Amino acid sequence: MESANASAAALRAKIAATEERLKLLKAQLANIEEKEAEEVEESPVTRKWPLLPDEYKRYGRQMIVPSVGIQGQLRLKDASVLIVGAGGLGCPSSAYLAGAGVGTIGIVDGDIVETSNLHRQILHNSSTVGMKKVDSIVSYLKSLNPHLKYITHPTHLTPQNAAEIVSQYELVLDCTDHPTSRYLISDTCILLQKPLVSASALRRDGQLIVLNSPPLPAGDAKGGPCYRCVFPKPPPTDSVVSCGDGGILGPVVGVMGVLQALEGIKLIVEGRLKEEQEVDGRGNTMLLFSASGSPQFRSLKMRARSSKCVACSGNAELTLEKLPGMDYAVFCGIASPIGILKPEERIEAKEYLELEQDSEKTHVLLDVREKVQFDICSLENSINIPSSSFQGTRSSSLQEGKPSWLPETVRADASIYVICRLGNDSQIVTQKLKEAGLDNNGKRAIKDIRGGLKAWKEQVNPSWPEY
Amino acid sequence: MSLATKAPPGHFSILYFASASSYTAKDTEHLPAPLPVSKLFDRLEEKYAGIKSRVLESCLLTVNLEYVDMPDDGSVGLVIKEGDEVAIIPPVSSG
Repeated sequence: MESANASAAALRAKIAATEERLKLLKAQLANIEEKEAEEVEESPVTRKWPLLPDEYKRYGRQMIVPSVGIQGQLRLKDASVLIVGAGGLGCPSSAYLAGAGVGTIGIVDGDIVETSNLHRQILHNSSTVGMKKVDSIVSYLKSLNPHLKYITHPTHLTPQNAAEIVSQYELVLDCTDHPTSRYLISDTCILLQKPLVSASALRRDGQLIVLNSPPLPAGDAKGGPCYRCVFPKPPPTDSVVSCGDGGILGPVVGVMGVLQALEGIKLIVEGRLKEEQEVDGRGNTMLLFSASGSPQFRSLKMRARSSKCVACSGNAELTLEKLPGMDYAVFCGIASPIGILKPEERIEAKEYLELEQDSEKTHVLLDVREKVQFDICSLENSINIPSSSFQGTRSSSLQEGKPSWLPETVRADASIYVICRLGNDSQIVTQKLKEAGLDNNGKRAIKDIRGGLKAWKEQVNPSWPEY
Repeated sequence: MSLATKAPPGHFSILYFASASSYTAKDTEHLPAPLPVSKLFDRLEEKYAGIKSRVLESCLLTVNLEYVDMPDDGSVGLVIKEGDEVAIIPPVSSG
């Protein structure tokens, strides 16, 4: 075993060194190619061609599409696009924009690549796990198209840095994953008069909207609506589901990112980035995708800007000066870690371990994850009743006295321990069980296992699969 | 939306997207028509307790693929007719 470990370590070191050398060689090659390109450009005979020889070949297949043409290609070359989020949407959209020859591409993301990203974030790969997402994505894009300028912003977009970053670009793609960033990006785009292509995806559903197009100043009713016109009220914080919690199919977010790139390319080649361009109101639709739907795509007609909008209407009070002071977390409702139980209503995972061996049936372990997660891995003798089945006031999972899910063999005073993936839902269910009177006026203990199965892995069983 | 059947006589179809679909555990269903949009949320609240504040209030509402406003002046507003297709579209923010 030891010698196997040693040779694995030696191999890893060798691979790392080879990759380092490869990077160096690629950089040298890029350097030479750049010089060559400059020389070609400087020669008087070739100066009349606006693109490099390689660019004619590279973009030929899209340039001969009548709606693109050489004019469209030159507009792409002149364009600058900011992609906010280098994840499931940002990967496919940036790849197609780079492939199409968008001259300047900026990427904002403060995260690092994780293994759980790889099934959908197609520009990252196993060897870039642990790297900054912006660096991983740009290393892919550079090898795809070395002719472009790539700018990385290794940070999250905040009300303090948004205006400074967004102002450097002509078009913005919202590829983020939270309501706070969606409102922030929309507001910033209104203030700086940038068109915005916003896409999102969860599980098997996706949404795509072109916003603030045409990008006219706030108060001009002919401008395109903003995110607040469409969704003036953010969803309740505790109902916001992330891809990490709700799940996401790779091709669903992939198709949304690809469509986002398409809308971006259309805006650029049609010359619709600037407000002075004549616009006929086309393209102002919201596209809904549902993998299980029939039809899978539905297109909704968008309306004009809302006269009540706090960001883009004539009554809007938003200004660039006020933006850094805006608190989007407060607007969307602060998602503080749930802590609704008293300390004595909770136990640690390692404390539960001692109870686990108990054969007297003096307790029940209730796992409140969704069944699909329970099926992946579960603790021995645990009962699965998903937290969603405790929703609503008439839930059958909350019958007083003895609900049907409690096994017959269990004693009436047997304690109930509630566990979930991370330890939030289990607290809510613990409280609901108590409110429903299942604790028999204190005769039965009902407790939450603090930190859920994540804590179980950390404190008790390191081999527990983390998904 | 796997069930794309036409609404039976005297009914309209309602489509639930994203979190509306999770909350109702349905993609679509048929409800009795006519129904004023101003009564729609209350009607759904009766069927799915808690859905109004948890889902509906931040949603976009469309009738036949065009979006409609909830009347906020106490008027009846648009009336959903037999055969209409209503969609409840919550914001999806992840990606």
